[in-house]
Amino acid sequence: MHTRYMRILKFDELELASRRAFFCVSDADLQRLAGLRPFAERHTKEVVDAFYELLLGHPETAKFFPDELAVKHVKKLQSEYFLQLFEGRCDLQYVENRLRVGAAHERIGLSPQWYLGAYRRYLEVLRGCLFADYGPAEAVAHLESITRLVFFDMSVAIDTYIAANVDTIGRHQLAIRELSTPVIRVHERILLMPLVGTIDSMRANQIMDTLLLRVVEEQARHVIVDIAGVPVVDTKVADSLIKTTAAVRMLGTQVIVTGISAPIARTLVQLGVDVSTMHTRARLQEGIELALEMSGKTIVDRARVGS
Amino acid sequence: MISVVAQYKLDVRCEDDVVVVRRKARQLAQLRRLDPFATAAITTAVSELSRNVLVHGRGGIALLEEVSDGTRYGIRATFEDQGPGIDNLERALAGGYSTTRTMGLGLSGSRRLVDRFDIQTTVGKGTMIRVEKWQSA
Ligand SMILES: Nc1ncnc2c1ncn2[C@@H]1O[C@H](COP(=O)(O)OP(=O)(O)O)[C@@H](O)[C@H]1O
Ligand SMILES: [Mg+2]
Repeated sequence: MHTRYMRILKFDELELASRRAFFCVSDADLQRLAGLRPFAERHTKEVVDAFYELLLGHPETAKFFPDELAVKHVKKLQSEYFLQLFEGRCDLQYVENRLRVGAAHERIGLSPQWYLGAYRRYLEVLRGCLFADYGPAEAVAHLESITRLVFFDMSVAIDTYIAANVDTIGRHQLAIRELSTPVIRVHERILLMPLVGTIDSMRANQIMDTLLLRVVEEQARHVIVDIAGVPVVDTKVADSLIKTTAAVRMLGTQVIVTGISAPIARTLVQLGVDVSTMHTRARLQEGIELALEMSGKTIVDRARVGS
Repeated sequence: MISVVAQYKLDVRCEDDVVVVRRKARQLAQLRRLDPFATAAITTAVSELSRNVLVHGRGGIALLEEVSDGTRYGIRATFEDQGPGIDNLERALAGGYSTTRTMGLGLSGSRRLVDRFDIQTTVGKGTMIRVEKWQSA
């Protein structure tokens, strides 16, 4: 997941360098942080405990940690996360690690506001420890280095949320697009494609592609395209229907367009669109009857046959 | 005397905008109780003209208005762009002519669909088209 996020975010050496420059994370800072490692190890428990005290003290965040065991587990992860700040590195590997953590938060639904609030607590506790262990001038300098990397971290975390959303939206779009062009086999060699919703350029292409593929797959003789669910049939939609009809006909298959309401029929005529190349019917049922009739079949009323 | 009851100014910058403008036009037509034929007519005309703003006029704006003449309600739609303008207006309005090899029926068709159609275009400056569709008497 996080490698995909790295890709979505285009996080490469160039991006890393420019971001580090923007957050002023220098090599001197990283050296200083590495030097603070013993200090960090001394205070890990204190910092991490304070961090979870905050999270567990609020119902919005406490719900993410159902029991003692869960808390113990995340505290361990958090300690590792915390100590990574003091490894003296800030390379792509580091970013990927940070993305992994962000992705985990995103997955459980912990939104950025809580993450940022918790990070503030982190800094608060660290400041206390620094001023307790070092003289004021030194403590300020250390805090400055830590702050730089922490803000860098936060920017990566926010990016994770964005990447996750972009990813989700992309997947949803794909799913919707597939859903929106279903092809149903209504009878031997007769297909039905009910269209619902707005037909933009992308969907128009997809409709044509899907239909052509299925016609070949199913060796269909007739295809019924029902447009009852299409809100507006303007020249663009009409054009794409006519082109789709022509393409399908090249495969030796007939298209019947149904679901044409009276207002749509009148509008098409006033637009001057020539639909004479298409078989059209007002209702879907009539379209199915026409397709059966054209393939030499009829629907028979049993009662009438009997009498 | 025609009075404007309400107006909505919308951008036309991308294909999604065309959908938004058209949807709003339909909503207003239904709100003002235009019959299904008139509603389909104004919605389709708005769809054509806003797409022209996008495709031929390099983007612009659509102004949708609910209007009243004291006895009936109507929908007025105005489209403005600062695009290339239309150099041979007569030919473009005759229908069947397109500079983008599409149907070429949007302009002429819209004109037939509405009750009132005004167009001002200047080559190199842009195009303004205003249409109205009224409740049938
Ligand atoms: N807003 C506009 N700005 C510039 N040219 C336009 C505009 N609207 C229409 N035209 C011109 O008029 C022609 C006909 O328009 P239309 O009837 O809508 O057909 P189409 O959009 O299929 O080309 C277009 O090809 C274009 O050259
Ligand atoms: Mg057009």
